[in-house]
Amino acid sequence: MNSRFFYTLLLVYLAASILHILFLATGNRRIAKFAYWLTIGGFVLHSVFIVLRWRYAGHLMAHWYDSTSFLAWAIILIYLCIVYRTRLRTIGVFVVPAAFIAALVAYTLQTQEDTAIPVYLQNYWLIAHSSVIFFAYAAFVAAFGFGLMYLIEEKKIREKQHTLIFSLLPALGRSDELCHKCIFVGVILMTLGMLIGVLWTQYVKEVKWTWLDSKVIFTIATWLIYVLQLGIRQTLGWRGRKTAYSAIIGLAAVLFTYVGVNLFLPSIHAF
Amino acid sequence: MNQIVTVGTSHHIAPLDFREQLSFSENQLTEAFQLFREHPDVQETAILSTCNRVEIYAVTHSKDGCAALSDFLSNYHQIEPGQLEKFTYSHQNLDAVRHLFNVTASLDSMVVGEPQILGQVKEAYAQSLVAGATGDILNRLFTKALSVGKRVRTETNIAAGAVSISYAAVELAKKIFQSLEDKTVAIIGAGEMSELTAQHLVKNSVSKVIVANRTYQRAVDIAKKFSGIPLEYDADLSFLVEADIVISSTDAPHYLIDRHSLAEIMRQRKHRYMFLIDIAVPRDIDPEVSKVDNAFLYNIDDLEMVVASNLKDRGQEAEIAAQIVKEEVVKFQSQLQAFEVNPTIKALHQQFQGVVSKELEVCVDKAQLTPKQQKAVEAMTQAIIKKLLHQPTTNLRQVALNSDLIEVVNNIDGEHVQYVRALQEMFGLEKAANTRDTED
Repeated sequence: MNSRFFYTLLLVYLAASILHILFLATGNRRIAKFAYWLTIGGFVLHSVFIVLRWRYAGHLMAHWYDSTSFLAWAIILIYLCIVYRTRLRTIGVFVVPAAFIAALVAYTLQTQEDTAIPVYLQNYWLIAHSSVIFFAYAAFVAAFGFGLMYLIEEKKIREKQHTLIFSLLPALGRSDELCHKCIFVGVILMTLGMLIGVLWTQYVKEVKWTWLDSKVIFTIATWLIYVLQLGIRQTLGWRGRKTAYSAIIGLAAVLFTYVGVNLFLPSIHAF
Repeated sequence: MNQIVTVGTSHHIAPLDFREQLSFSENQLTEAFQLFREHPDVQETAILSTCNRVEIYAVTHSKDGCAALSDFLSNYHQIEPGQLEKFTYSHQNLDAVRHLFNVTASLDSMVVGEPQILGQVKEAYAQSLVAGATGDILNRLFTKALSVGKRVRTETNIAAGAVSISYAAVELAKKIFQSLEDKTVAIIGAGEMSELTAQHLVKNSVSKVIVANRTYQRAVDIAKKFSGIPLEYDADLSFLVEADIVISSTDAPHYLIDRHSLAEIMRQRKHRYMFLIDIAVPRDIDPEVSKVDNAFLYNIDDLEMVVASNLKDRGQEAEIAAQIVKEEVVKFQSQLQAFEVNPTIKALHQQFQGVVSKELEVCVDKAQLTPKQQKAVEAMTQAIIKKLLHQPTTNLRQVALNSDLIEVVNNIDGEHVQYVRALQEMFGLEKAANTRDTED
């Protein structure tokens, strides 16, 4: 039942992604509206799925599979928050497909039940630590989306091509501002998530703190990319293209920290 | 015989001085409505008078309604008929309807998609309505025309994209900055185009205007128009540090702003976006400037290209809009037809209802029905009325839909009019159904 349920969810996200892209291609606002509501439908479905899965597996984040599914869910949640606050549905063009890809990865991972985290670690520390970090990742995905929107719009303005996309994307200042805000929120959440992780090792005997864990090192490196960006923006006023590029480089670092480290390097982190 | 007619002139066929002659001032409008009220042939009127067009719409009795309107115009404005004929057009019935729809859809405007005309028609209709000059038919016509104008604007991109250079500049500024509210514009040099652009920017809530000119007095003169700050032009360009939008149009033979100096200015203003508009020929700003991060440069050719491509897009959208107008003319036609038969249908229902309720009263009294029984009988009688009248009602509407507008408006020859007459006579409905005429 799990598998079929998730398959349906995947189809909904795929359809929503295609519709979002179709909106950018045609400029038809009805399509945008439909894509938005379809995404909300997917979100509701996904929420139900996560609850069912929690009850079935006994934990929210017991597997890599669950964690990736949670990441997809967090991306959609952040997307909905952004649309609610800014009315800017175009961000869906870049963010909803990202959620679809995350969900797709989760779907292919679901057979690997052996990636489960040891039972003695399955507690609320784990939930707090992981979910906060995943929300940070989701915010970085949104920042990446705004960065791309900025770069595309800037290219159109510089090349003087006032096409449909030019008219659909928001003003440069707006994309830049939102990209910055997403990075800011992401950094705060990531800092919080890391702190929870450190505290966890202090309060729980089973986990030993080490600086040398590869996941820890790369997480700090990723964190530094974003923090440096915020700092330079504050002092020298770097904005626009430079913010957009750092959102893209930052997301690449996030991906490596999240996926690459586990594939290539040993770590006490299962995900 | 009733007809919808229009006679008018527009920028398409008449020069400005003729349009001026034909136009109606506020006072003249009142006077004209008064004259039309006394006119034996004219039932309803509405007058649209803008700088680009003057049009009278009317519902007339006479065989040639257009001639009646032309005569009126030539008498009122004292224009000789020959000239009037040369510079005006006239449409009847469906053509008049289509023409008004084209006007509100802005398809007949000098710049297709321009926003003003819809408001102007609305205003003209409101004035005619308040003056009591319009009636059932023109009220329907204008309400529909306004909704057609709105539909065209929401369903097509006919009004999208700036079609003048100064608007194109404003539109671009809005695509660069999140909002123009706290932004500063610097005008270097002078010129009609740069002032016009600055004016549009100020209208879009730009907060501060700096005017730099080599002659201080000239700067003061221009700055007055925007309550801006005059400056004597200084080659070190330090005044650009606080400028978000720069409009340059000097007659300097060399570049005033080069890449190196702008990069320095951008550093000083912490890389906040700068939009540079170079209207000067020869150019004031080195094209290399566009390589500086967060600085965006457009010259006069770039802006003209934007305008040309927007105009082309509007042309394509206009075709979709024309399709909408076509659809709406057909819809309006059937509305008008239904409008002609509806009073009769209503009267028929009322008559049946009257008979039934009278009989019901007697029956309830006689048979001493309980409330429950009474309700059941009432329901039954309602069902009988509905079923009996269903077929004739549908048929009448069908006949009305099949006849064309000319017949409807002519009120005599249409097949459905014969049906209406027959019904009126057979059921003695005449009084009720003719209320519309007596109101007129």
